[in-house]
Amino acid sequence: MGYLRCCLLLLPLLLLSAAPPKVPKLKPTRHIRIHVPEPSDICRNPLNNNFFVVSDDGILFEVDIDGIPVREAAFRGFDFEAVYADESHVYLVEEYTRKIRVFDQATLTLQRTVHLPYGGGRNKSYEAFTFNPVTGRYILLTEKDPIYLFELDTALNVVNEWDMNHLAADISAATFYNGHLWLLSDEDMHVIRLDPVTREETGRWYVPIINPEGMVFTDEGKLIVLSDDMERMYFFEISEM
Amino acid sequence: MRILCLLFLLLCTAASQAQVTLSNGKHVLELTGAVSTYYNHRVLKPDAVNQSRNKDRFRLRDAQIQLEGRIEDKYEYELQVDFVDLASFSTGEIDPENPGLMDAYIRYKGLGFMDIQFGYGKLFYSRSSLVPFSYTPYWQRAQIVRGNVFSRRDVGVTLMKNFWRQRVNVYAGVYTGLGEVTLRGDNDPSGQPEYAGRIDFAWPARYRYRDIDTRHSPLFMVAVGLNGRYANKVLPEGRGFPSFSTGEFGLKVINGERYVYGADLAWQYKGFSGQFEIHQLFARPHLENDALLQGISPELTERKLYAGGLVAQLNYFLKRTKTILSVRYEELDLNDLVPGRSERFSCAVAYQIKGFDSMIKFQYFSILREEVIDPLRWTEQFRIGWQVRFT
Repeated sequence: MGYLRCCLLLLPLLLLSAAPPKVPKLKPTRHIRIHVPEPSDICRNPLNNNFFVVSDDGILFEVDIDGIPVREAAFRGFDFEAVYADESHVYLVEEYTRKIRVFDQATLTLQRTVHLPYGGGRNKSYEAFTFNPVTGRYILLTEKDPIYLFELDTALNVVNEWDMNHLAADISAATFYNGHLWLLSDEDMHVIRLDPVTREETGRWYVPIINPEGMVFTDEGKLIVLSDDMERMYFFEISEM
Repeated sequence: MRILCLLFLLLCTAASQAQVTLSNGKHVLELTGAVSTYYNHRVLKPDAVNQSRNKDRFRLRDAQIQLEGRIEDKYEYELQVDFVDLASFSTGEIDPENPGLMDAYIRYKGLGFMDIQFGYGKLFYSRSSLVPFSYTPYWQRAQIVRGNVFSRRDVGVTLMKNFWRQRVNVYAGVYTGLGEVTLRGDNDPSGQPEYAGRIDFAWPARYRYRDIDTRHSPLFMVAVGLNGRYANKVLPEGRGFPSFSTGEFGLKVINGERYVYGADLAWQYKGFSGQFEIHQLFARPHLENDALLQGISPELTERKLYAGGLVAQLNYFLKRTKTILSVRYEELDLNDLVPGRSERFSCAVAYQIKGFDSMIKFQYFSILREEVIDPLRWTEQFRIGWQVRFT
């Protein structure tokens, strides 16, 4: 009798959600191991074909296309979660301490530290950082509960704030590519494309990757998604997007 | 008292919603909390004695505040209190599934080759016990892991280390052996501690202590664990253990040698997940007339007994409707010297209003079979309620 009651209760719910969400799925063409412990974000080095990768352990690495470290900063930080680089600097975001660390590109030495207090959850704070050349502002996003998009001027002062909680369960990375702002959601495993000015969603794809924490586009037409738990770089064809 | 505690918690939380984390750049302190209440309907056995007993009730299960901090990358600490159970602490009995003081420990991470934890907290024994309650769709843990057969928390020292990108976790520790009752401050006249250890292995990536695959893992993930604990407490003549320390079934602390060992398996794939866990207790009482031996001749019992049980659970997370479906089967044999064992079947449905932070949970459980030495007044229970976490 007990089993029967239970089944009667569960069946309608099962039927109600049988259809999968209609988000197009991207399939990785290949993957390689990245030799960085607990990698949490990746960005292009605009001066060559390498990438900057940060680790949860608080270390900044420069890695080549095969995921092999070629440079490592001497500075030891704490819980790096986001990275962005331009021609002269590398910007790292420390989630726990709510700090942006600015490094010299050439020497990987610390040049400046900016503290941006945020009262949200200890492990739900700043998770994504990039530069939006359309607006001329840096953007900094919190991970979840809630998801905020902060706009920063070139001196790294917060000048605007947007509530983006409707967008995803969480945000784990951000980048700018081909005239659009791109966000990555770890829990949803979604790559989300936004209009760089209005922040309206213009596209969304599902990437079947465990714990995706970083993403970057290459000049060769690839999207690379970084998996923290698997310590892997997954390659996708942009032409499928 | 409980209502006052609840109001206090709500006021604290309302004031802290704008800033739940404090930081000076090196020391980060996070304040979180939880409240949960359920309505409980019990189907009592149809005899006259039972009809005068409580049949239905509301219960405030949780009213918690948690302070969790980290000082650079060297120290972590946690203090978690449940006001509901503190309010009932004066009776002397501590609910091992939900004690008033839930965590009070410091973890030092500065050694590099391993972490070390001091204080009071969950023992790294039993995967199911290590899964935070708010991450399950149920209103009650399985019998074997509720803390009546083996303790879930204790005071002591734990060494911990992970390998291979956190796929392998190893824990070993020494504790008072009195479990949650050690909070009352009474000494154990035997002077002997309890030792516990655990190792778990996950593939293809680290596997957190969670039951539900809310992310719909695109790869099949599996974790297996082995754990054991040992105590040899021999009381001086005429002395006894502190009140309530032996637990509801007299198995948590015994006058004699006691081993508990178990294994667990967890997997998840595309929203489906399952857990299986089994434990066995081997006891060798010091005295031939120990009550655990049921008055049976020592020639027959060889002054030893076994107890144990298992739990098997299957879950599915409906991502579109944010709903968890779960079924659970459990067995418990409190003493192999007494014939029979108990069996229970449960199912649960939980609707996530806002993830695990706000969830309506429904649990149904049914007694399939009772054990002679643990008769119950009811045959079925229904529990429905709301769980809210302030994070």
